[in-house]
Amino acid sequence: MSTAIQFNNVSLNYGSEDGLVRVLKSVNFSVNSDEIVSIVGPSGSGKTSIIMLAAGLEMASEGSIKINSQEIVGLRENDLSDVRKKNIGIVFQSFYLIPNLTAVENVLLSLEANQKYNRDEEAKSLLGEFGLSHRINHLPSELSGGEQQRVAIARALINKPKIILADEPTGNLDSANSESMMDLLFEYTKKSKTSLVMVTHDDSVARRCDRIIEIKDGQIV
Amino acid sequence: MVKLFNLQQLLLINKYALRDFLRSYKKLWVITTTLFISLLLLSLTFSVKQALNDEIQANSKELLGGDIQVNSGIEPLPVNILEELSSLGEISSAVELATMVSKKGQSPVFTEIRAVDGNYPLYGEIETIPEGVGEKLFLSAQKPTVLINESIQKLLQVKTGEDVVIMGKSFEVAGIVTSVPDLQNSAVFGEFAIISKTSYDQFELSSGGSFLDYEYRLKFNNPNEGGEQAKLVESIVAYDNTIETLLPNDSSQSLSRVIDNFSNFLNLVSVSAMIIAGIGISNTLLSFVNQSNTSIAVKKSIGFSSQFIQLMYFYEIILILIVTSIIAYLIGVFSPLLANDLLPKSLDIDLQPTLSLIGYLNIFFIGLLVVLIFSIPSLYSIKDIKAVALFRNTFQPASLNFSLKNIALLTFLIVILSTYFVLQTEQKFYTVLYFVAFFITILIFYGVSKLLIAILRRSYRFSNNGYRIAYRNIVAKKSLAPIMTISLGIGLTLLLTLSFVSNNLKKEISDSIPSMAPDLFFVSIDKDIKGDLESFITSMDPNVELEFSPMASASFVSLNGTPIEEIVSQNNRSAWVVRGDRRISWSEKPKEDNPIVEGEWWESGNEDEMFISMDSRAAFDLGMKINDKITLNILGRDVTGIVKNFREVDYRDISVNFAIIINKAFANKLPYEYIGTLKSELSADDILSSVVERFPNVSAIKVDRILSQVSGVLNKIFIAVTGISLIVIIIGLIVIVSAVMVQTTFRRYNNLIYKILGVDFPTILKAMTMEFAIIYFTLIFFALSVAVIGSYLIVENTLQLTWQFDFDLTLWILLSTAIVSFILILMANRSIFSPKVYPLIRNE
Repeated sequence: MSTAIQFNNVSLNYGSEDGLVRVLKSVNFSVNSDEIVSIVGPSGSGKTSIIMLAAGLEMASEGSIKINSQEIVGLRENDLSDVRKKNIGIVFQSFYLIPNLTAVENVLLSLEANQKYNRDEEAKSLLGEFGLSHRINHLPSELSGGEQQRVAIARALINKPKIILADEPTGNLDSANSESMMDLLFEYTKKSKTSLVMVTHDDSVARRCDRIIEIKDGQIV
Repeated sequence: MVKLFNLQQLLLINKYALRDFLRSYKKLWVITTTLFISLLLLSLTFSVKQALNDEIQANSKELLGGDIQVNSGIEPLPVNILEELSSLGEISSAVELATMVSKKGQSPVFTEIRAVDGNYPLYGEIETIPEGVGEKLFLSAQKPTVLINESIQKLLQVKTGEDVVIMGKSFEVAGIVTSVPDLQNSAVFGEFAIISKTSYDQFELSSGGSFLDYEYRLKFNNPNEGGEQAKLVESIVAYDNTIETLLPNDSSQSLSRVIDNFSNFLNLVSVSAMIIAGIGISNTLLSFVNQSNTSIAVKKSIGFSSQFIQLMYFYEIILILIVTSIIAYLIGVFSPLLANDLLPKSLDIDLQPTLSLIGYLNIFFIGLLVVLIFSIPSLYSIKDIKAVALFRNTFQPASLNFSLKNIALLTFLIVILSTYFVLQTEQKFYTVLYFVAFFITILIFYGVSKLLIAILRRSYRFSNNGYRIAYRNIVAKKSLAPIMTISLGIGLTLLLTLSFVSNNLKKEISDSIPSMAPDLFFVSIDKDIKGDLESFITSMDPNVELEFSPMASASFVSLNGTPIEEIVSQNNRSAWVVRGDRRISWSEKPKEDNPIVEGEWWESGNEDEMFISMDSRAAFDLGMKINDKITLNILGRDVTGIVKNFREVDYRDISVNFAIIINKAFANKLPYEYIGTLKSELSADDILSSVVERFPNVSAIKVDRILSQVSGVLNKIFIAVTGISLIVIIIGLIVIVSAVMVQTTFRRYNNLIYKILGVDFPTILKAMTMEFAIIYFTLIFFALSVAVIGSYLIVENTLQLTWQFDFDLTLWILLSTAIVSFILILMANRSIFSPKVYPLIRNE
């Protein structure tokens, strides 16, 4: 079993008018390649920052971050994009589907970013697996919240990423939709031996994970 | 470093851009509309200019009237020379003269008459009403006939078959001449008539004075060897350096130069319109980027690079550019067909559309440069949109990216755009000056908006709610102030400047000149009748102001021994002084209104030496100094004189003025005639009729007729010019409306908050009016200042007129622009007046 994510003494600081804000303080943890980990903690504790750092969307102030053994701290924007394309799928709390693209086009976007072209059938098939075969040509505004999140998850999974990073994926859903969404995500990650790192406030969701990392004031408790 | 994309990625960019464009084109209407209008203006200018030049080139022989033209001035060519020339081809001899055409009971008309032989015209045809009456001129059996143009027909109220009098001889009007092929010297907009050379010789019309020009046109026997034969002609007439030869290109060049100058002005206005459109492009693109910031962030989170996304949006703009430029180009190409109906029929011009790839690429390239200049700062803002915002759900609006790299790139592109225009025009200096002034004006207006915001921030002490809301809107990050001051400011400045210049020029022609100018100009008065003429006029009006000056014909040969054509280029402002025949005069003392600005007047009495007094402005332009030696050809003899002084000559009062004056003692030896002016309380028409009846050989020009002709032409030009500058304002308004609409969401939200807090509709309307008024009053102060300075420099320095401010005109322009702008802004903002509270509560 290999290590998918490795944080070594990672700190994240922001400069502000009031001085330096230390968001993360020497954080160390790792996630194995088929492990499902939840990150929990109070608001402002640094949970989302960990996801942003792991996705290469934010640059660590100190320390080392390895994604599938590749050091990403210090990489340039284009190289970080490559790492992200090859390894990572992201699911957001607010879904963030592109409003003028249909469901299938939103999913295809992820494939095409990876230079995988003309894979419409693959995208449609995955949407079918997620129960959206009747919605593939609908715009996001024509989908319910639950359907939108399923399209967003399909977009994150279509590239068969080695790591899925999810930031409160059920935060905008009701409990029924939330339950079915997590079933979908857990089932897929187990089946594809993908690691899943998920920020959540929902204890029931956190309890279903293999491991819980609790964070407080920028440090792992 | 620029990332290179492979074919698949480029295809993907194409696919995304097309899809995005088809689904979001409504958001890009401002880019499409403004780009289209400015490209259309440019295309129309280029196409009509091209068609006119093509037509002139294609008809250059008709315009000249032969393969070569020889002008021998006031003397005809000797018979032996004519025989030599006739061995090379067919000759058509003509004499151009200016004299009076009269009819009993009507005021005589000063007319340019062309006396032609039976070979005329060698190329093309004379068009007449009735058709074919041109032949009648040469029928010896009948009474002498004349073809007159429509203007004479109207002024003399004369019909075909009736008689008119030319220099005391009666001519029957054979018909109306509507067009002659050789337009070069004819008065297209004035009075023009054709008689036969036989009549001219028979009636000795050459006694009319020195306003004669003998012209000979040749049609070579072998036109394929035109170049060689033209050299032969030049060698035949080389014995006299006052004889001038003209080739077809010479005649077309002078017309082309006029067209080029006017089209150059239109091009500059077009590019100004395009640059203002560019401001709209920049603003629309930035708002488009901001509206798409979530999509951009998502794409980044998935793994697309900023460059990929930038290229995708840029590709969309290029698609718009391609479509709009093709449509604009096609409309432009076919516009000459419409221009045919608008041009005077007497020009006999038949413009044809010409499709050319180079022509299209020219338009596209200029459009591309403008699009690049204005899209770079907007598209580079994509870099500043971070995917991390997706986690925080907090999107900061992107701003124009002016990094050092971008500034360098923009400067480079602006230099290319300016250079591209400068290289295409003959008027390079003025084009550079225009661009410099234009970009400085943009900077001024940008500075004005920043100054306004800074001043408002300091003076924020009002308790009035309307003012507070207006203040907040102006100093807000997305304020209308910069875009409104720049886009409306430039258009308004251009309109005000052109209106001030045209108004000053029109006032000069309609008010100032008539009050100073004489009523009549007598030309070429024989010295033997001068006394009688003076007495005759004085007997009619004892209080008449009469002024006669002696004059002789001379032509400029050399300056300090160097042939003048080697020193003075055709573009020289004072080239007219040294070109062709020039009338010179002499006097004992300097005229009071011609003060000496350099050198000294000469002592009287030196008969053997010629002393010269030059117009100071011409002397400066031609690079002359005091004591320079000037050689003039006077009556076929080269005479060298010394420049003794420079005079400041004011031609504005249209009194008799000469660029060259020589000493009287020397001039006494020359044959001469008089030129004179008359100013009287009596009717100029009555005096003229009596004078022409009593002295048939006297010619006189009515000043008010000339002024009304000039004024008529100027009016047409200025209507066209003002119309074109209005397009700049219209584009500016579209840009402002788009900026308003971009802000609508933000303002609706703000007004909703105000509404919840209890601010009523009148206060919001008052705030909006105050916001507009504050920006507009600041803007007009600077627009007016720049326009006043610009028009003052043009009127005083270039046109040499006295600049006057016209309050009514200014008020009219400023008020009408303000009303139109404010109504448009209100219309664009109409949805913000009644914001619904419900969507805010639901956070929609």
